[in-house]
Amino acid sequence: MPRLRPVFALFFTMMLMAHSTSYSAIDDHNVLIVLDASGSMSRNMEGSSMSKMDAAKLALIEAIQGLPDKTNIGILVFSASNISDDWIYPLGPIDSDKLIAAIHRPQPGGKTPLGAYIKKAADRLLERRKEQYGYGTYRLLVVTDGEADDRRDVDRFVPEVMARGITVDAIGLNMKSTHTLATQVHSYRSANQPDSLKKAIQEVFAEISGSGDDSTTEEAFALIQALPDEAATRAVQALASSGNHPIGEKPSVRPKDRIVREDREIHAEVQPQRSTNPIWVLVIVVVLVFTIARKTIMKR
Amino acid sequence: MNGTIRLVGICLVSMLLSPQAFGEEPFGKLVGNVQVQPVTTTSPLLVPYITWGGDMATFYANGGLSTQSETIFHGQKLNLKLVPGDDFVQQVRNYMQGKTPFLRGTFRMIGMASEVIGSDPRTKGVVILQMTWSAGDHLVVRDRIKTVSDLKGAKLVLQTGGPHVGMLDDILKTAQLNWDDLSVIWAKDLTGSDDCPAELFKKRPEIDGCFVITPDMIGLCGGLQNVGTGAEGTVKGSRVLVSTAELSRSIADVYVCRKDFYDQNKDLVTRFVAGYLKAAEEVVDLKKQYESKGSTKYMELLQLTQQIYGKDVIPTLEEDAHGLLADCTFVGYPGNVAFFEDKNNLNGFEAFQKSALDLATSRGYAKVRQGLFPSGMAYESSAFLGYLTKTQVEKRERFRAEAVLQEIEELSAGGTLDEKTIYAFTIQFEPNQDTFSAVQYGTEYQRVVEMAGKYGNAVIAVRGHSDPTKTLLELVKAGMEKGILKRSGSPGNYIYSLDGKALDLAAIDTLAELIQGGAFDGVPDHNPREIYQAALNLSRERAEAVRASLLDYAKAKGLRIDSTQIQAVGVGIREPFIAKPSNMQEAQQNMRVEFRLMRVTAEVTQQSDFDF
Repeated sequence: MPRLRPVFALFFTMMLMAHSTSYSAIDDHNVLIVLDASGSMSRNMEGSSMSKMDAAKLALIEAIQGLPDKTNIGILVFSASNISDDWIYPLGPIDSDKLIAAIHRPQPGGKTPLGAYIKKAADRLLERRKEQYGYGTYRLLVVTDGEADDRRDVDRFVPEVMARGITVDAIGLNMKSTHTLATQVHSYRSANQPDSLKKAIQEVFAEISGSGDDSTTEEAFALIQALPDEAATRAVQALASSGNHPIGEKPSVRPKDRIVREDREIHAEVQPQRSTNPIWVLVIVVVLVFTIARKTIMKR
Repeated sequence: MNGTIRLVGICLVSMLLSPQAFGEEPFGKLVGNVQVQPVTTTSPLLVPYITWGGDMATFYANGGLSTQSETIFHGQKLNLKLVPGDDFVQQVRNYMQGKTPFLRGTFRMIGMASEVIGSDPRTKGVVILQMTWSAGDHLVVRDRIKTVSDLKGAKLVLQTGGPHVGMLDDILKTAQLNWDDLSVIWAKDLTGSDDCPAELFKKRPEIDGCFVITPDMIGLCGGLQNVGTGAEGTVKGSRVLVSTAELSRSIADVYVCRKDFYDQNKDLVTRFVAGYLKAAEEVVDLKKQYESKGSTKYMELLQLTQQIYGKDVIPTLEEDAHGLLADCTFVGYPGNVAFFEDKNNLNGFEAFQKSALDLATSRGYAKVRQGLFPSGMAYESSAFLGYLTKTQVEKRERFRAEAVLQEIEELSAGGTLDEKTIYAFTIQFEPNQDTFSAVQYGTEYQRVVEMAGKYGNAVIAVRGHSDPTKTLLELVKAGMEKGILKRSGSPGNYIYSLDGKALDLAAIDTLAELIQGGAFDGVPDHNPREIYQAALNLSRERAEAVRASLLDYAKAKGLRIDSTQIQAVGVGIREPFIAKPSNMQEAQQNMRVEFRLMRVTAEVTQQSDFDF
């Protein structure tokens, strides 16, 4: 199995040196890469002496330079034969040395549980989004060369991941037929050569952009004019309410409920509700009955 | 609770000032004709005190009503006799007649008397010491009053005279309203009678709000952050709109000295001031000790306080005496330097003098503006620097920025932001505007800096908003590409149908469900969620840019501002003015940044010895 030559690694390391250090701000970009390390990734790319695994590693290392400032990256690998922790690079700021070392590590082996890993990656992004109070950007890139073993999970999770506001891109390596992801995600690119793979990853990274602009055209106003105002309001509310709870689960408690409850707690501290304990009522009633009974008896 | 307390002082003031006195009658009428006499007796020198936590430092320094040996004032070679001064009119008479060279009151009470004392050069007032800021006065409102802007046309009840007149004056300024914009019902007492604001507020539903002290506030709504439930005598839906817990630079308690006495006895007056500041340093430390592990010395002070005010006023030590102190914040030596010497302090002597005289003349307490003198003390001299210990206190950041942000975001997400909002105003932008110059927004920035100073314990959320047009457009395009939305008609007369049915009001729930369910997602070139997110990020960037520009403005002007007090947040397109703009002018109304003055919990503030 061809490995990246040390000289390559050194070269990229030097290129990446400038691009590191630690930050973690609420407006960070976040990119999570789900990297296929299933057995088939050890095969060479078409017309190349490089394995798909190595081509992917090389392309990733090179593309990372193109990431905008303030980007957190995370790499989740499935089915690598030599790794127990599938988070080879947990979501965080780019530390070039560590990142390159991490990308080099996985060796192919095993199956293609795509659905499960897309959920795992998305859940991490949602956690991060909560930490960033919803600001920033959230992107999930799947690099794979095979069909999912858990297609049902893919079908179930991928639409939800997108409906939560995570942009999902997929790159298929030497995929003979169209991948099951191709029709579901925001962008699907197939790459058959190491160069086209590199280009595909770079294109995905180039899509990362933080904030939009306010400019609109008259055409835009004309197109939305026929929406009832209430529909516009509800549409925005619907977009705003995607939530950060794990994929495939129901949201636990809405924030509003929580705050109301806290208020009640504070209130309870300041002014304890003096509800009468039923036992006391009982005691009082018994005493009263007893007293009245006694008086009645004494009168007699 | 501390409640019974503060009130007594003010209560007595009010009893002596007839109901119509404040706001209707010149102060001179109340004082009557008094002959100005020089101060002849200086040993012991009479010093008035009132019922207020700040005066507890005076008791501590003196060891009792007469100066005791081995006390701070004794060490300062002073021989003082502390005398009750809750009858402010009588205080002014004594001052004019030379029985004492001092006046003790809030800055604005002194302002009310300014014309009387300023009419003779001998009795002109020198403000020699700021003792404290108040943290225990509150405006409680019914739920129909959301922010101070809603006070326009409202009916408020407050006690005649006393500190709430000035507090209301400050609140009106915040909202850019004036006294004619609301109707005031004057209550005779501060608390504890049928004719006090809390009782009138409970009895008369047409009253929108009342000014009360801490115990009454708790009785009405349950606490600073609470809403009255209607149970246990609370008023359903009532809550604190503004409190001096946040409006922390509203009520300044001070000592004033006669000009003639000050000129002849500057050394003595300086020793009195230095002694007081020394006592404040020690009391602050003892209070901290008491709260963490207990303190015998502090308990002795509480006992002394109870002894001086009497058990009627201070029934318990832990609740009432300690609570009295908790309702005020000492300013200490650094606070006095900042108050008298810092020319850029928007809540310093000059600003207070102006607002006190404005109030006195506009409300009819005075006809002529008679100014006061600032202390003019040599704060750099050994009388202070060689004697006090907390002179180099750095002004710390008031808030834990991260915690403030979290609180604002949670309130925003929970939809309860409005309940914590004191006041809000917005500024508009051009599309894609990313510079916010002081030339363009100087007036607004100045207002924010002033609000930040006045409301030292409130935060200002700078909330960016963006326009939803692009997101809606992408949504329409994505829907059309996926075949969920269909368009018919011609430009200007388009009609949309959703899943084969007209997209009218009846279809709106379906539309929301489809969006939430992801039916509009996955179209390669039209991703409304990405545009939504981009608009959110843009709104935050814009808020951040405005915040930075605001801080630059303050810096350039030399104005003090605590950067942790100002937090930028992005709202995105969630709260548009116009949900569906039909042209650029309407879209621009959505592109805006809003300044929201907000009450936050005490947990997000950093505690410091002095507030200045």
